[in-house]
Amino acid sequence: MTHALVLGRRALREGIRTPEAIVPTLFIPLFFLVVNVGQAARIFPGSTTGFLHGQGYGAFQLPSSMLLAASFGSAALFLVEEIEGGYFDKIRATPVSRSAIVLGRLFAEGVKALVIAGLIVALGLAFGITIASGVLGFLLLILLTAGWAIVYAGFMQVIALKTRSAAATNSAGLVFFPLLFLTPNFVPRNLLTRPMEIAATVNPVTYVMEALRSLILQDLRWETIGLGYLVVAVAAAIMLALSVRIIRAYD
Amino acid sequence: MEVAVEAAGLVKTYRGRSGTVEAVRGVDLRVDAGEIFGFLGPNGAGKSTTVRMLTTLLSITAGTAVVAGLDVAREPDGVRRRIGVALQEAGLDARQTGRELLVLQGRLFDLSASEAAGRAQELLELVELTEAADRRIKSYSGGMKRRLDLASALVHEPQVLFLDEPTTGLDPASRVTVWDEVRRINERGATVFLTTQYLEEADQLCDRLAIIDGGRIVREGTPASLKAGLRERLGLAREATLDDVFLDATGRARTHVAGEVQEVKA
Repeated sequence: MTHALVLGRRALREGIRTPEAIVPTLFIPLFFLVVNVGQAARIFPGSTTGFLHGQGYGAFQLPSSMLLAASFGSAALFLVEEIEGGYFDKIRATPVSRSAIVLGRLFAEGVKALVIAGLIVALGLAFGITIASGVLGFLLLILLTAGWAIVYAGFMQVIALKTRSAAATNSAGLVFFPLLFLTPNFVPRNLLTRPMEIAATVNPVTYVMEALRSLILQDLRWETIGLGYLVVAVAAAIMLALSVRIIRAYD
Repeated sequence: MEVAVEAAGLVKTYRGRSGTVEAVRGVDLRVDAGEIFGFLGPNGAGKSTTVRMLTTLLSITAGTAVVAGLDVAREPDGVRRRIGVALQEAGLDARQTGRELLVLQGRLFDLSASEAAGRAQELLELVELTEAADRRIKSYSGGMKRRLDLASALVHEPQVLFLDEPTTGLDPASRVTVWDEVRRINERGATVFLTTQYLEEADQLCDRLAIIDGGRIVREGTPASLKAGLRERLGLAREATLDDVFLDATGRARTHVAGEVQEVKA
């Protein structure tokens, strides 16, 4: 674990020293939040739309932006850079456990996502959004977002280790994006058309989004929250196992 | 004499889209402790592949390798604790400072934070990089990067140091500085396994050397014995050079290696 933390701190330094890789992570989700709310807020006024629980449409859209921000991690591209530059081999030539090499970057992505999610929520609060589930809900909200960031970074890391190519890793990120949109992104699941409802129901990201949304709009609803955390835990375990397997067989 | 590196029948094959490639085809090697051993060969001969197998970075298809007393395939972590590795193209993290890189390397070899900081300072002094220690590596020259890479391979005082083409791309002055470092490291007790394309480098530094071509060892011995052997075999009137030995061993003609000079008209 010490090795994972040491490597995680290095990855954090790397992130801090590359602000140009972090700025879009914050800017693009906020851009989508403003555009989506601007386009649909009048269709769904807070006073008469039941699924908003008395808040504005921005509160409903906030989880989409948080998930989008968590799906922008640059860890895998830094990893490809390291593989191409030879530093990855330098680390592999040390007695550090293979899982620590994988965990270090994921730890850093989790910390970065905590900060970014906190900033997005803080901006939301400044614009009148409230976290109905209180302080505990706020903590659960940013923790779940960070968990999703780890899943996404893990997926990208798997692709980076397998392909060792920046182009392939970037493309794989795009494959992941439809999952973010095959969700109850604009309205709750029961208001979607039947095909979209089916797609959203089989899409695990839906349950993460619904957990985030329930934390913003409602009291602590443990069943919904638990489902979101379960999806993140299972997906993270799969990504971690795959990464470790690939790095152990890495030639 | 204690053995630092021993390989027997080492083979590496890759399966690619165009079929199976045999990069190394049964290498037998023995490097005694305390030696500077040179590993020479033309591009694509199998030098780096052999080094990567010996340093645990590449799986071994067939054969065995024992480094610093441990079997590479069975005890890779043990081997990693006993060797230092500086590969081609100085693999460094350009966003870190020299000091941060050395401290991190120390931490990965289980030094405490204060031990790693102390060791980093010692090594920065050894390779004369104290003034640049807190600058990001991306601002370092090629020679500085090589010296830092060397220092990072020494953090845990390895028994065997593998240097894969440590002076490729360096200017003559930086090259001599690296040679001095290698000698100093060897004098402190480390066995040095060095691959190079520069025959002068091998002549200057190595106690013994092997030449690999087409994935097989084609010559092995001290530079003096290899040169004397060639002179005797070919009945040369002059002293043979290591260039002559290399060209003879790899079946390449001097003119072929030098290439043709063509006049280019605008």
